[in-house]
Amino acid sequence: MSEGSPHLVVRGVSKRYGPTTVLDHIDLTIRRGELVTLLGPSGCGKTTLLRAIAGLAQPDTGKVELAGRDITNVPPHKRNVGVVFQSYALFPHLTVAGNVAFGLKVRGMARREIDIAVDRALSLVKLGHLASRRISALSGGQQQRVALARAIAVEPDVLLFDEALSALDRKLREEMQVELRRLLQDVKATAIFVTHDQDEALTMSDRVAVMNKGRIEQLAEPRELYLRPASLFALNFVGLSTRISGTVLAADNGKVDVETKVGRLSALGNFQAGSPVIVAARPEQLRLGEQGESNSAAGRVRSVVFQGSRTLVEVDAGAGESLLAELSGRDGAIPRVHDEIRLSWPVTETFAFPMEAQA
Amino acid sequence: MIRAAIIVCWVMAIGLALFLIAPLLVIAAASFSPTPVFDLPLTGASTRWYGKIGRLDGFWPSLLLSLEIALLSTAISLVCGTLAAIAIARGKLPGAGIFATALVSPLMMPGLVLGIALLQGFRAIGFTAPWATLLVAHLVITLPYVARTMISGLARFDFTLIEAARTLGCTYPGSVLRVMVPALAPSFLIAGIFSFLASFDNYPVSIFLADVRTKTLPIRMLQYIEEAPDPTLAALSTLILAGTVILLFVSDRAVGLHRMAGTSD
Repeated sequence: MSEGSPHLVVRGVSKRYGPTTVLDHIDLTIRRGELVTLLGPSGCGKTTLLRAIAGLAQPDTGKVELAGRDITNVPPHKRNVGVVFQSYALFPHLTVAGNVAFGLKVRGMARREIDIAVDRALSLVKLGHLASRRISALSGGQQQRVALARAIAVEPDVLLFDEALSALDRKLREEMQVELRRLLQDVKATAIFVTHDQDEALTMSDRVAVMNKGRIEQLAEPRELYLRPASLFALNFVGLSTRISGTVLAADNGKVDVETKVGRLSALGNFQAGSPVIVAARPEQLRLGEQGESNSAAGRVRSVVFQGSRTLVEVDAGAGESLLAELSGRDGAIPRVHDEIRLSWPVTETFAFPMEAQA
Repeated sequence: MIRAAIIVCWVMAIGLALFLIAPLLVIAAASFSPTPVFDLPLTGASTRWYGKIGRLDGFWPSLLLSLEIALLSTAISLVCGTLAAIAIARGKLPGAGIFATALVSPLMMPGLVLGIALLQGFRAIGFTAPWATLLVAHLVITLPYVARTMISGLARFDFTLIEAARTLGCTYPGSVLRVMVPALAPSFLIAGIFSFLASFDNYPVSIFLADVRTKTLPIRMLQYIEEAPDPTLAALSTLILAGTVILLFVSDRAVGLHRMAGTSD
């Protein structure tokens, strides 16, 4: 199958546990060689979706197709998937090499071929020198690599990562994110990551599926996800934002004028006049001072947080509303707490979301 | 001050060990006595009592019966006890705690009471075949040992390992055999040894269920000591002792005695 064609297809998959709907008609198509993240808070269904793909959870309805084959009713041991678990799930009674060889032995591969495949997998994760170690003698980062080597060794059709990096400390995790992405691209793997960490999602994936309450709210490339969030939930879950509630006054061809407590604002969106909405913008779009043809609001600086290359400024705009601006040194003087300032931002970077969708 | 405490501890430990081991040493010494009546100091050594063990009246059938019952009850307990422990340890069973307590409760029951209760219970339902009643009774004795050991072993077992094995190409039963059994091998060994020993040397329960032709080794030994108290019995005891020591030594090599004491790793 060629690169870019549908490789993993999830069609209308639903799953209920008792009265709780964990997956609500999920549709997802992943291309060959693509790295996709399922991002969402705990309980959003992302792990259940991963388990349904691995065959460890049986969906109530819907189909799963992998590499052109319907695997909905195929047991996990015949699916040819590789899973890296959050706890790594390494076999304590086997050595590092024994763990990596496990899937190959089960497949009845010849001993010599197994040795070659194990060597290759271990050198991919740079653990060749630890092949004969016991699992208990490894650090967390090393165990993570063994789990990865074990999953890669069987040359699965898709690699599934269930919060695989979350047990590592922050610095190691950030290093692994970059290294893992490079490694997976090198071996041309198709992979799905499950995580609640937005940085991990943005760093590692070609596309991110934001999940909420058993549904995929948005499936988009990281950049698009950040710049054009499809829902208030996606906006809130990835990155920071300024959010102001208001009522639509007039609508015109994809643009709306909204009456808010901080003044009249314009935003992108299709609503009928009178609809209650949330108007939102990313903090880096907010600039000091007035600019023509843009939204603006004034207020008193509540806090200033210096973060190196940028400074986060929170402004109390009155009436319970606040503005969040991310200013860089190039924007001129950084205001101080209690300063009265005016901030403005482009209408084309202002979004309106329906009020009732607020999570 | 601390030094003194350490000395006191050591003296107590050695004293206690001596107190426990000394009778066993006396038995071992007595088994080599050249005379039928054991007397200190020894006036020489003889192994003739060991030769007499095999000629004891009814010895071989009793030994075989005890081994049979001990091995069978241990094997059945290992399977049933492990399955029960899985149900309890996975925690999805309603009332798992009650179930676990019930399973282990025969451990806390005085053997005599258990023996009488089983005898009367079996009689009441017309279940009187001696061999079969002995096996069932010994299951009651051995199951708690297996269940207790396996519950604590499984509590530390990560069931994700089974899922990992399945995604790597193992069937469910294959995953249990290839991953759970080896990972829990120490627990199985410990459970098996304690279960076997508990059955093999059980007297108070067996005595109520045995008949003239179906006598376990401990019952037979007590009978010998009443009939003819000569060093043959000491020789037999010494052999059993040696067997137990070898068993414990081998399993210590395999898994470590500290794990048998339940202090885990």
